[in-house]
Amino acid sequence: MKQQRKVALPRYGEYNCALKYIVEQGFEAQCVLPPPLSRRTEDLGARNSPDLVCTPFKTTLGSMIEALEAGADTIIMVHGACRLNYFGELQEQILRDLGYSFEFINLSLYNTGKMRDLLKALKVINPRCSMVKAARALYDAAQMVEHLDDTTSFYYENCGFDPSGTYSKIYRNFIADMYDARNLSEIREAYRSANRAFADVKLEKPRDPIRIGIIGDYYTVMDPFSNLELEQKLADMGVEVHRLMNITNDMLRNSEKNKQASVRAFTEYSMGASSTTDIWQAQNFAERAFDGLIQVKSAFCMPETDIMPVLANLSRDYKIPVLYLTYDSQTSDVGLMTRLEAFYDMVDMRKKVAR
Amino acid sequence: MSTQNAFLGIDVGSISTKAVIIDGNNTILAQEYIWTEGNPIGAVKKLLGLLEKQFDRKAWQITGVGATGSARRLVGAIVGATVVKNEITAHAVGTTTFHPEVRTILEIGGQDSKIILVENGIAVDYAMNTLCAAGTGAFLSSQARRLGIEVEDMGGYALQSTHPTLIAARCTVFAESDLVHKIQMGHPREDIIAGVCRAVASNYINNVGKGKRICSPVVFQGGVSKNVGVVRAFEDLLGCPVVVDENGHLMGAMGAAILAKRGLKRTVFDFSVENMEFVTRERNCGGCSNNCEVICVYRNGSLIDFWGNRCERGAVR
Repeated sequence: MKQQRKVALPRYGEYNCALKYIVEQGFEAQCVLPPPLSRRTEDLGARNSPDLVCTPFKTTLGSMIEALEAGADTIIMVHGACRLNYFGELQEQILRDLGYSFEFINLSLYNTGKMRDLLKALKVINPRCSMVKAARALYDAAQMVEHLDDTTSFYYENCGFDPSGTYSKIYRNFIADMYDARNLSEIREAYRSANRAFADVKLEKPRDPIRIGIIGDYYTVMDPFSNLELEQKLADMGVEVHRLMNITNDMLRNSEKNKQASVRAFTEYSMGASSTTDIWQAQNFAERAFDGLIQVKSAFCMPETDIMPVLANLSRDYKIPVLYLTYDSQTSDVGLMTRLEAFYDMVDMRKKVAR
Repeated sequence: MSTQNAFLGIDVGSISTKAVIIDGNNTILAQEYIWTEGNPIGAVKKLLGLLEKQFDRKAWQITGVGATGSARRLVGAIVGATVVKNEITAHAVGTTTFHPEVRTILEIGGQDSKIILVENGIAVDYAMNTLCAAGTGAFLSSQARRLGIEVEDMGGYALQSTHPTLIAARCTVFAESDLVHKIQMGHPREDIIAGVCRAVASNYINNVGKGKRICSPVVFQGGVSKNVGVVRAFEDLLGCPVVVDENGHLMGAMGAAILAKRGLKRTVFDFSVENMEFVTRERNCGGCSNNCEVICVYRNGSLIDFWGNRCERGAVR
């Protein structure tokens, strides 16, 4: 009998749990989890990448190398609406030049948005597997992602007001449960039990807490390692941290079909990738009278750079301060802390005067 | 006669180290400004020695200490600061205290530059240079050295110029090659210097100040504000007067002292740190592949503080 494939996706926040579920429950193959992102991952990626490519390219390439070292023989790369679409092709070539042999599944070749084509792409993992079963696993994994995003949002909106540290434990346990889940009922049960546990913790939240909305490029804003744990750092200052940008809101529940029309006051045309979504989210936060906005972007990210003047207009019209953060392969978060502390102080003083 | 409360503020930047002692009414009792010279601990000790001489310890007692600047954490640990605050907030607090009507604070230091917008005495927006230190004090210093003059004299030369040379301002490296080229072409020195000052101001407006509405009154501070050439360039570019406080270089330290005064924590500071031995050591945690660099600070051989670890595993005991 042919050996099971060992499949890996570069680390992307905690979304690797969903791939693990699809590979193991849907395709009856093995999933290799690359080691958590670290400075080594960044070094490996930076050493083998073009110099001026954006940081997510380097980080995902580094994570692919670490996955191959950990025994993976099949690498999956996702697609997107910017040069991310070409990442897979280039990364595959770089890895082959480095001498690795592996199967590469480049989802941007099947970028139609149809379930049928996604299944066709993934079939390489195990051609003899039942497509009905695989389709069901995809459906379950989508629910897992929704539960993961819901829990993550709830966590960062509230964990800053839990001095006991219980929130953090519950969240970590929940993430571990997602990686261990083998069927839909286990996913749902873990979600419910995390919610029950959260409800039991007494929060010390003021009536009108400081609320900060975070927007940014698709990878850096969602991956805590890449943004130097921005959300946790802000929450620890006693802030309600909101982030609408996640896979659930952007792909699974993308009900806002007319984002471009809703932001017409600020921009007529889309600037590609996450630009329209970001502006829409910024406007949404501003209309809900948030205290501040933070834009997170990787250095050399074109769409995010392009929307900065739009955000400046939005900031002026809604009188909401915006902090622009640019991330490169930094090893120190001292500069980030200075900017965050200053932003917090400013927002806090504004709020006290407004009251 | 009983002693009155006084407050010490220390601002340790990349290039210079500043300190003030103020009384309850924000009057300066002692002040000093020296170069950091890559040795923040040594600079602070030297600074405290200089302050002690200016200061009447029979009449005043320091009961609050604020630390700011890029070495605030280290210096805060050493002097036992009651408040450790980032330099942006410290500058905003200091400036709005002395210039309550200010709307825009321009600030250019040795390695960084920032803009703070103020409405009704409250900072409402700010920006700080990211990833690149083009057009800051370090650039002016190196160009002064190239031209064979002291950086302090640059402003005077710049004001003599009637036709400032155009110099590319976007990037320090390009600006420097542009400058060399213009020197070799035979442009007069004062025109070159005026061009450099103009380049600093326009780079600031196009970079840090991009998208910000700069309203008058404008206060300019940080070490570079001592350069009258840059002040003039800002006035030309912005079309409004630019105020430079005579204590502008001390605003961060003033802000830190005021924050220490406002804070609730009190401690008696007695200058004894001057005679203590401080050592910092870097150790690599090695607990995981992040390999965090943990900085440990020792006072007379015993650990007083550490930072840099991302998780509990890196804690030093």
